[in-house]
Amino acid sequence: MTDHKDDTGHHAYAEVELDIESERLSIKKPDVRFDRQGDLSDEERVTKAMAHFAKDFGTTAAAYLDACVHCGMCAEACHYYVATGDPQYTPIWKLEPFKQAYKREAGPLAPLYRLLGLKKKVTIEQLEEWQHLLYDSCTVCGRCSLICPMGIDIAALVGMARHGMFKAGLIPHELHAVATKAEEDGSPLGVTPQLFQDRLEWMEDEHEVDMNIDKEQADVLAVISSIEIQKYPDSMGATAKVLNAMGENWTFRTDGFEATNFGLLSGNADWQKDISMRVIDAAIKVGAKTVLLPECGHAYMALRWMGGNMYGKPLPFKVLHISEYLADALNSGKLKVKKVEKSVTFHDPCQVSRRGGATQAPRDVLKHLCSDYREMPGGGDYNWCCGGGGGVVTIHRADELRYKVFKLKMEQVEATEADTLLSSCANCRQNFDDCQSHYDWKYTADSLLELVAENLEEANA
Amino acid sequence: MDLLEFARGPALQVAIYIFIAGSLWRVLGVLWLQKKPDHSAARHSGGIGGALKVIWSRGFTAPAFKSRTMYPKTLGYALHIGLFITVFFFIPHIVFFKGLFGLNWPGLPNNVIYFVGVVTVAIGIAVLIRRMTHPVMKLISNFDDYFSWFVTLLPLATGLIMPIRFGIRYETLLAVHILSVALLLIWLPFGKLAHTYFVFISRGTTGSILVRRGAKT
Amino acid sequence: MKDIPTLGDILQARGVSRRGFLKYCSATASLLALPPAMVPQIANALEQARRPSVIWLSFQECTGCTESLTRSSSPTLEGLIFDTISLDYHHTLQAAAGEAAEAARHAAMEENNGNYLVLVDGSIPLGNPGFSTIAGMSNYDMLMETVEGAAAVVAIGSCAAFGGIPGANPNPTGAVSVRDLVKDKPVINVPGCPPIPMVITGVLAQYLTFGQLPELDRHGRPMAFFGQTIHDRCYRRPFYEQGKFAETFDDEGARLGWCLFKLGCKGPITYNACATMKWNSGTSFPIEAGHPCLGCSEPGFWDKGGFYNAVSTGEIGSGTALAGAAAAGVAIGAAAAAMSRARQKKTIKEG
Repeated sequence: MTDHKDDTGHHAYAEVELDIESERLSIKKPDVRFDRQGDLSDEERVTKAMAHFAKDFGTTAAAYLDACVHCGMCAEACHYYVATGDPQYTPIWKLEPFKQAYKREAGPLAPLYRLLGLKKKVTIEQLEEWQHLLYDSCTVCGRCSLICPMGIDIAALVGMARHGMFKAGLIPHELHAVATKAEEDGSPLGVTPQLFQDRLEWMEDEHEVDMNIDKEQADVLAVISSIEIQKYPDSMGATAKVLNAMGENWTFRTDGFEATNFGLLSGNADWQKDISMRVIDAAIKVGAKTVLLPECGHAYMALRWMGGNMYGKPLPFKVLHISEYLADALNSGKLKVKKVEKSVTFHDPCQVSRRGGATQAPRDVLKHLCSDYREMPGGGDYNWCCGGGGGVVTIHRADELRYKVFKLKMEQVEATEADTLLSSCANCRQNFDDCQSHYDWKYTADSLLELVAENLEEANA
Repeated sequence: MDLLEFARGPALQVAIYIFIAGSLWRVLGVLWLQKKPDHSAARHSGGIGGALKVIWSRGFTAPAFKSRTMYPKTLGYALHIGLFITVFFFIPHIVFFKGLFGLNWPGLPNNVIYFVGVVTVAIGIAVLIRRMTHPVMKLISNFDDYFSWFVTLLPLATGLIMPIRFGIRYETLLAVHILSVALLLIWLPFGKLAHTYFVFISRGTTGSILVRRGAKT
Repeated sequence: MKDIPTLGDILQARGVSRRGFLKYCSATASLLALPPAMVPQIANALEQARRPSVIWLSFQECTGCTESLTRSSSPTLEGLIFDTISLDYHHTLQAAAGEAAEAARHAAMEENNGNYLVLVDGSIPLGNPGFSTIAGMSNYDMLMETVEGAAAVVAIGSCAAFGGIPGANPNPTGAVSVRDLVKDKPVINVPGCPPIPMVITGVLAQYLTFGQLPELDRHGRPMAFFGQTIHDRCYRRPFYEQGKFAETFDDEGARLGWCLFKLGCKGPITYNACATMKWNSGTSFPIEAGHPCLGCSEPGFWDKGGFYNAVSTGEIGSGTALAGAAAAGVAIGAAAAAMSRARQKKTIKEG
């Protein structure tokens, strides 16, 4: 294994030479595949992991970790278990080292367990083995949290466990690289403020729409994800179109534009805060009453539900996902759209609907937008995760697994026999695109926002 | 002091003390850990309303999950209901509770209880078989799971032997039955049987968060 | 002593002529292949034959066991005393008193040394010999003196068998049972408060007929009378199984004769013959009369949790103890949480 450092002294990623092509029939148990960052000793890694697990052992985590009765139902909700039949993907099993650490260190019986040697200390081998389970095979989609008869929010616990894994330097290297970029450069894909501005101006021309960039004061601060900036820039044009049609006093800010939060996804709580604060500071600077989040899933979770806790007090502005904004606008009549002819179905981004509570919003939009909208069987709050969230789409060794679980999504979409599939998360779109090419599939996910923007009508005053 | 006097007297008393002390220890040891404030803007007020909603609703599986969980869910419900009926509707038990709490309620004929008891034992065996053979269950199960199963089924089994006797004296069977209940009381706060309390605490916690977010419960 | 009828006296009293008696002796001699010259010796021996001597000692008792005995009808008390045994000493029934009574006891002991039966009712106080004395002799001394030459001892009633009511909590006299004291002689327990009359006489008859101890259970009670529980032979058992119970003493259920389990019946854990042999020559027994069984033939029945508390009730200890347990739980929980938080802080610092 070689460790790359670029000339700024940053650790980029660790190069791992893994043979994944040759026959594995002779190997009974494949080597555990894990990445390491930094040059901490094994002991130091375990200490770091324990310290950052401990930060989360409050009443909420404790109530959850003490409540599990090993019923195994969470496995039945998880696309990784359902698609592969591999019991190691049982959601609560993904938390085993975290749970073990809690019971040994922080639970009410912890002194008893330690005294009688009933719970062992978490080992480096366990943490290494669990990297795959906590990162490759969890999109934090929350289906397990919904099925658990004890009401355990397993997905939230995975998010907490990742804190320890990050600080121990035991996360997948691509995710680490991308998170480092996000923290240090302001964007996971290396989008600089200048590049952002350039692409905004490009969209301004393409869509013939007025872009507001770096206004001193605005009621609405619009943010965008780097995925959209780089891969789906039309979203920026569509956003501007909609906000202008609404007559909003809005702006993009080059000093606070990134909606994604790879601190959250990778498990670095400090970086999560830094990244959120850029947007929060920008919003405060312009005196925004609303921060408008783009078509991104975890951005909603990061700012809408976790932003206040990063800030340390309630946010001084509303946070809306673009689908919520569009729903309000269309419902109130301030915005009008033409109905599209083709039949449409919708993939809910897990972090917006199931985890975020904004399931109805896109449906309100679709009510106005579609003449033939078809709900997926088991769609809405219970739909299958696309398999790309939670940082999974960045982890290349997890591609095989990602394609496998995508089959469940394909079945769900195909059952509608709709012409078009829409979603309102750029990461889902990215995953759908990649899987479409892998499977040569009929569908991919198009943007709800872009379709609305394409079909805007003049609203009556 | 013979075995029955011991079982009904000191053994049961100590078991009850440990049960009370242990339960408070386990629950308060969780509730009194750090609670982080939530500064997000609530979509609806969560609080107790949300907690109660999920405490109730999580007892029922959502349609999307039903087909994959029908068997374990049915087993779980049958086991709990069977235990509930045999514990609370067998008249000698009702008399026991009356002695403790002064409450009285109508019971069921003994034969009905015997039937329900036998069915519950069968369910218990099915539950154990599932835990020992299903790949997910095999992986995640530990000593706590198996011991808790044993400690729960033992009073049921020892109770069911009493009308049959197998040539053993009634007082001995009663003493063993009461001792098995004492064991259950002692173990409950310390293993997964404490889900007696945590089902409310955990579901309630999630409920208030989910309702706060306006998310699906 | 010479007032005690011999077999010859009994036969004469019963109207058997001398001639008839001698004819019987000839027949016996032939049967035994003895020469006719032996007949007078056989006649003499039989004429002089005596019934087994029984010495009845009464200690800390209420005399209920004797009262019960006098209600016996098969054999009747008279039949027992005059035909089967020689009751040589009994406070209530004997004619003699004072020095004469004690002399009678000693004479019976001497004349029948090794062969007499000692029956005891009442418990023996060990706390202070002065608690119960007879003719200035403590119960303990009298018991140990009398059993020395006994063939067997029968403890009649729960007091003699288990310590009974005097032995109930707090046992102020230090009352103990016969078995606690007599270790080197066979002791049969015939408990009950009192025992059923015919159980007393039946046990005695059984012993006297076969001359050996009957089969006893682990409490020394004859299996023939104490081998089954009241519950297993109770005529109200079907109501128990059907779940029909009397809740109070004069409610509908009580009047319909339903099971008395809820009213504290100790039937399930009491071994006796009440449900089969019943009392007053098979007239009735407590449950039939509407009162739950007290369990009076069991050791410590007075301290078994209360006559009106059902068998399935437990004892949970005092309110103070429970409050103490709760306080302990709260304290330990708080300590655990505090320890956890401190440990968390330390772990976070280290990390």
